[in-house]
Amino acid sequence: MAASISGYTFSSVCYHSANTNADHEGFLLGDVRQEETVSISDTQISTAELLQVVEIHNHDPCAQLFSFYDYAGKLNEENLNTILKDRRKNVIGWYRFRRNTQQQMSFREQIIHKQLTELLGVPDLVFLLFSFISTANSSTHALEYVLFRPSRRFNQRITLSIPNLGNTSQQEYKVSSVPNTSLNYTQVIKEHGAEFFDKDGVMKDIRTIFQVYSALQDKVQAVCGEVEQSERVKENIQEDVNKLKQQIALRKRKTAEEERKLREAQNAESHPTPEENTEPSEASPLSRITFHTPSAPERPSTSPNPSSYTDLLSQDDSLLPSSSPPTSAALLPRPQAVGSPGHPTPGPLGMGLGLGLGLGASSNPVAAPSTPYLGNGDGSSSDSLDRQAAGQEDDEEDEDDDKEEDEDSSEYENLVSEAGHLPMVSASVLAQGRPAALSPDGDARGSQTT
Amino acid sequence: MNNMSPEVALHRISPELRPLLSSVVRNGRVGLDSTNCLRVTDLKTGCTSLTPGPCCDRFKLHIPYAGETLKWDIIFNAQYPELPPDFIFGEDAEFLPEPSELPHLVQWDAGDPECLLQLVKELIQQYHHYQCLRLRESSRLLFEYDSLLEDPNYGHNMEIYAGRKNSWTGEFSARFLLKLPVDFSNIPVYLLKDTALDPGEDVALLSVSFEDAEATQVFPKLYLSPSIEHALGDSSALHIPAFPSGGCLIDYVPQVCQLLNNKVQYVIQGYHKRREYIAAFLSHFGMGVVEYDAVGFTKLTLLLMWKDFCFLVHVDLPLYFPRDQPTLTFQSVYHFTNSGQLYSQVQKSYPYSPRWDGNEMAKRAKAYFKSFIPQFQEGAFANGKL
Repeated sequence: MAASISGYTFSSVCYHSANTNADHEGFLLGDVRQEETVSISDTQISTAELLQVVEIHNHDPCAQLFSFYDYAGKLNEENLNTILKDRRKNVIGWYRFRRNTQQQMSFREQIIHKQLTELLGVPDLVFLLFSFISTANSSTHALEYVLFRPSRRFNQRITLSIPNLGNTSQQEYKVSSVPNTSLNYTQVIKEHGAEFFDKDGVMKDIRTIFQVYSALQDKVQAVCGEVEQSERVKENIQEDVNKLKQQIALRKRKTAEEERKLREAQNAESHPTPEENTEPSEASPLSRITFHTPSAPERPSTSPNPSSYTDLLSQDDSLLPSSSPPTSAALLPRPQAVGSPGHPTPGPLGMGLGLGLGLGASSNPVAAPSTPYLGNGDGSSSDSLDRQAAGQEDDEEDEDDDKEEDEDSSEYENLVSEAGHLPMVSASVLAQGRPAALSPDGDARGSQTT
Repeated sequence: MNNMSPEVALHRISPELRPLLSSVVRNGRVGLDSTNCLRVTDLKTGCTSLTPGPCCDRFKLHIPYAGETLKWDIIFNAQYPELPPDFIFGEDAEFLPEPSELPHLVQWDAGDPECLLQLVKELIQQYHHYQCLRLRESSRLLFEYDSLLEDPNYGHNMEIYAGRKNSWTGEFSARFLLKLPVDFSNIPVYLLKDTALDPGEDVALLSVSFEDAEATQVFPKLYLSPSIEHALGDSSALHIPAFPSGGCLIDYVPQVCQLLNNKVQYVIQGYHKRREYIAAFLSHFGMGVVEYDAVGFTKLTLLLMWKDFCFLVHVDLPLYFPRDQPTLTFQSVYHFTNSGQLYSQVQKSYPYSPRWDGNEMAKRAKAYFKSFIPQFQEGAFANGKL
């Protein structure tokens, strides 16, 4: 059993008591509640602990001694009712204050307690004993208090705790569960409460905040869905890219093979028939094109493994306008919140890439800072697909599948059937803080061609 | 605070409560052991420390009971002196007397100075009942108690202290304090040495401690009030037989009683015998008596002459005369020893029988003097100087 008394009740009792010039007694009003603590640990399924907590909310001092009992200690119920009136049902104990005596229940107190327990019908009636001890020269005075539970044979003393009396820097400041019974308080709250509380008694602000929170949660959920989708698309595209790379590699080998044969054939016919020249050249238009390197730095070939976002970021960092391929050691992009004015809306990815194509379009895209170079120049795997994976939102990625193929390498320029068709998303935009001049819908094409 | 003299206590207590306390400390005797008054210590006040004194209204009362001292707190309120006190029964936390058995509490009258003392006596009675109830924990001791209770000689003069069970060994101990029904009234008054304080009632108390419930360790002890102790011959009188193992109180206590009675009788008789002896000497030696103890009849001095040789005879009669032989001291009136004392000789063995009556003793003594004196005279002349 535990007991607690609020600080103001305690000080009120002490005040009443200390100001009397004799012994003093009164009643304690409050509540008894049961607390059940269920704890689950690895060793046991659950242990339930029942704790009875006595809470003292208020006290009712008696005006004089022997006010409700006689010399023999016999209770007078009438007097008791006169003193307690309608608070009788709230009585959970009584207290007594006596100076310079032992902390032990006296003869009369025990007799009275027994009768009170029966009369009030409270089986675990508590008795709070205050004793005030002064030293002989009145230099030190101690107020001691003990809470008894005389109905039990053992463990009669209960610890009485006073919340917030102590070192509150170490403990939390506790809000006591003592109900506020003040009429004035209730009135004021009733009058002004409607401004702060809605009909359920919940503060309005809380509801508003909760709504905002819900909206944010919805958005996040939606974004998650989109991200998932784009990830899947990216996955598919990556596969396609890999396949195409393989095909390209294959063709390259074939081409190389054929060229070799052609050369050999040419050599062999150092006075060869002219037909053979044309044949290979016609047979492999691709090879001709192969040697035509654009002034743009080579597009790095895709690696079989798509690089991670962090790699991408580091590659973005190394981006320098039209200079030699930068190293990866560069400034990290400053993160910006989604929706903030500084952040550019996701633009078409292919702006830089489209420029990089260059073959069909004669422009030299990379020279301008506005056309960010999206690779680190060493031929590693930065590519448009990676940039797309950096989180750009693009609802039209599906359309880009074909376009993606176009951008990967200058060697693929022959594949470019739609030279002007540019992909939509540019991760570089994100990194460079590119002004949101371009809409996500592919108007980049127009703006890019310089 | 401790060992406070009654006067100091009375001085410090609140004036309205003074009469009540006065009768307790001055006249208060409760229980069998009434040699000591009730003692008061630890006087405190229930008023605020700013109240001018004297305003003490609560104290500790020390009450002798069954060989123990009970320390009870008595709590008044100086501001309300008409109200009855409250009590804290010290370590006997389970002692809760029924208020209806305490008439002086129910009808407390603060104007009656004896009220508190009477209330304390009633509480002691209740305490006694409480202890007797506790004896029920041991059937053996309960039997002892019941058997004693039946005997009217002891039943009403008994204090029981049923000690706490020793929590380690589970042993139960008890002490019986019995007032022995021995009549001391015939002891010659002179023997009862008067003390500075009122010695109180002459009483003999037998305390029997049972250290275990099976009565295998029993320690009896006899307490006599100081005057009786002196009258009966100090420590020798306290020698009582050991408690027989397997015996019981109802047999043992009468034994001790008898022993004590015998001693008392002997002392009384001895007195009378001595009186008789002295009377006989007086009649036999008449003018030869110099002086004698007319109160206790323990001493007699004779001045005798034999063939012009004068000598003194001092007769010292012991306490247990006639069992013990009187001592005769012959003293020469002429001769001195080297240390300046009169030359004397002590005779402790001479013809004597306790069965002789006074007259016979006087006659025989006379005869002895005659036979011894020549010897003495020679010795005096030889060893003493004039």
